[in-house]
Amino acid sequence: MQANPNDKQAQIRALIARGKLKDALFAALGIICLGIGLVVIFALVADMAVKGAARFNLDFFLNFASRRATQAGILSAWVGSLLVMLVTALTAVPLGVAAGLYLEEYAKRNWITEVIEINITNLAAVPSIVYGLLALGIFVYTFGFGQSILSAGLTLALLILPIVIVSTREAIRSIPAMIREGSMAVGATRWQTCRYHIIPYAMPGILTGVIIGLARAIGETAPIITIGALTFIAFLPPVPFSELADGTRAGLFDWVMSPFTVMPIQIFNWTSRPDPAFEVNAAAAGFVLMAMVLTMNAIAIWLRYRLRKNIKW
Amino acid sequence: MNESVHVSRKFDEDLGELRTHVLEMGGLVEAQIRAAVEAYASGEIGSVKDIVEADHRVNKFEKIIDDECVHVVARRQPTASDLRLVMGVTRIVTDLERIGDEAKKIAKGARRVHEQGMLNVPRATDVRHVADEAVIMLRQALDSFARLDVALADAVIHADAKVDAEFKAIVRQLITYMMEDPRTISTAIDIVWICRSVERIGDHAKNIAEHVIYIAEGRDIRHTGKEE
Amino acid sequence: MQTASATTAAPALKAEARDFNFFYGDVQALKKINMPIHDKKVTALIGPSGCGKSTYLRSFNRMHDLYPGNRYEGEIRFYPDNTNLLSPDVDPIEVRMRVGMVFQKPNPFPKSIFENVAYGLRVRGEKNRRALDDKVEAALKGAAIWDEVKDRLQDLATNLSGGQQQRLCIARALATDPELLLFDEPTSALDPIATGAIEELVHELKQRVTILIVTHNMQQAARVSDYTAYMYLGEMIEFGKTDDIFIKPQDKRTEDYITGRMG
Repeated sequence: MQANPNDKQAQIRALIARGKLKDALFAALGIICLGIGLVVIFALVADMAVKGAARFNLDFFLNFASRRATQAGILSAWVGSLLVMLVTALTAVPLGVAAGLYLEEYAKRNWITEVIEINITNLAAVPSIVYGLLALGIFVYTFGFGQSILSAGLTLALLILPIVIVSTREAIRSIPAMIREGSMAVGATRWQTCRYHIIPYAMPGILTGVIIGLARAIGETAPIITIGALTFIAFLPPVPFSELADGTRAGLFDWVMSPFTVMPIQIFNWTSRPDPAFEVNAAAAGFVLMAMVLTMNAIAIWLRYRLRKNIKW
Repeated sequence: MNESVHVSRKFDEDLGELRTHVLEMGGLVEAQIRAAVEAYASGEIGSVKDIVEADHRVNKFEKIIDDECVHVVARRQPTASDLRLVMGVTRIVTDLERIGDEAKKIAKGARRVHEQGMLNVPRATDVRHVADEAVIMLRQALDSFARLDVALADAVIHADAKVDAEFKAIVRQLITYMMEDPRTISTAIDIVWICRSVERIGDHAKNIAEHVIYIAEGRDIRHTGKEE
Repeated sequence: MQTASATTAAPALKAEARDFNFFYGDVQALKKINMPIHDKKVTALIGPSGCGKSTYLRSFNRMHDLYPGNRYEGEIRFYPDNTNLLSPDVDPIEVRMRVGMVFQKPNPFPKSIFENVAYGLRVRGEKNRRALDDKVEAALKGAAIWDEVKDRLQDLATNLSGGQQQRLCIARALATDPELLLFDEPTSALDPIATGAIEELVHELKQRVTILIVTHNMQQAARVSDYTAYMYLGEMIEFGKTDDIFIKPQDKRTEDYITGRMG
């Protein structure tokens, strides 16, 4: 049967039209779903911003906690958060990168590495409070680090270690085998290949993972409470080499042993006060915390863009 | 030769066509010689015009086949047996074309001999005999090409010596005619030329046989004598 | 295996495979390969996909050692010192310092042009800036790319065109002065002009280095090589002078392959 060419064209057009309708339907559905997510986030942030608006002034950032809501600030909390993050990053990055590098580049593929890999994935799923319990036993009591920035930093480092390891491994895996072979083919050792190629090329992915891990850690409350962070701190950790109250000079690392508080704990503390005025503080602090997290994510994106610009194969 | 087929069917067709054309051209040339020799032996010189005409077709064939060879080389980059076939065919075609020229010369010579009205053509049967042998050599050379039959090609190469010897014998006899009766000289010289052409045909048939051996085995036995 | 036109007045050997078997785990990928590699000549390996030619090539610089489960049997003798490249006593890094390699797809490092070429020297501990400059320049000249890049040695290598990248990779391999250079289908990702440039380069390079090249392109093998080996299903079917292989191969399987016939 010979089809009329015009009929055939009409058929094809009808087919395309049907396909395009489905395209449009799905696109609309996607936009709606996306919209729901965005609206919720936007509403949350806006709500906090509006509620906390009364507290947004310099004093809020430079005052310590206080019994009076209007005079209470978040100085010790944001300084604490930043210092804890510093300890966390300094611990988690070398450990995580070294572990990831070892697993990808050095470890032989056998059942032991299989078990290790599965456990790393499992570690990422362990509830954060469990890390808190672990840290309480080990860092606070056994090692005697006390309820310090060091304990908190190490705890959160443990928490984000799997994230760093996994992102390191993913970043290394995305480096094509031919780059590795190209390096080995001129007679490089494994370590030379890692140092000149694998680590630099994996760096954007690693940094992204680290910052996403830190963004998660900065919002963590449960493990920090578990190790016994104080909720009411009216002083800052000693600046290295500054003069202390007893007339001696602080050492370079004295700050790590200092008691501390962090943003989420401050927020938690304020929300549990009976005085509704503190809710304004909590909202304002929540907005600041949110801003910190978003800033870190922005830095992650920017770093990834900057570093990846020159890496292509 | 390689009997299995190419992955590219078109390539097989191209090579098949090449072979067919060579055999067609060979057939044409063979008929041309036969007609020329017949004209000489029988004196029916009316066919000479047709024979000269046929040479144009032979020449046209030569060009067509050469073109086909160039195309195969350009498009297919033939290797090994295919390469040898194409190279061999270009040489065979040259030899066939020369044979065609020789046939034309025989026909024209026959016309001259008979136009001189010399009814008592000396040695006509001898000439015919050697011409038949040359034609057989050509046909066998073409057969050996068609089947890539190295043994047959070898036989052709050996047969050439016989044709050469017969040519010399005829020339010797013609010399005695000329000495006996000087009036026969111009005719006798024409006949020598005819025999010379027949002898050349044998040489070309031998060349073709040598090309066949090259195509089949990759051995180049030109200018090496008969011993391998 | 058949050796066409026995080794009459054959040039010196650079390497020689002797009863060489190779296994990926339990699978035997190469079977009893015996083959000479003539010094300062180009030897081409041809054969259908999966015939083991790349596997064979990558044995010469022990590339298989990078992955677990691979096993060599037999020998690849390396001359003039008669070392068995495959011996467990020979460090693969030592082998790679003597045997350079150029890959199928150009794989410059995402670093500067200069650093790409200098890398092999840095790996060998060369720190003298002058020496690095000189050797990098010599290598780039050797790979016929110096004129194109001399004014932008600090530019990213990955911004070069495909053909330039491949010549850069050749320069990278040349910088350390290898004795044997392996090419694994070096032009399969390049256009015909860039391919021609690489082939020309191969022709020039054989003045100073022995070359072993795997190619899918039979015409390329015919163009660049002095010797050709046809491999099929992990076996060396025929080895001989390139002219002999391409005009009158001895083995029906070689003939079928190079004339494009079905096996």
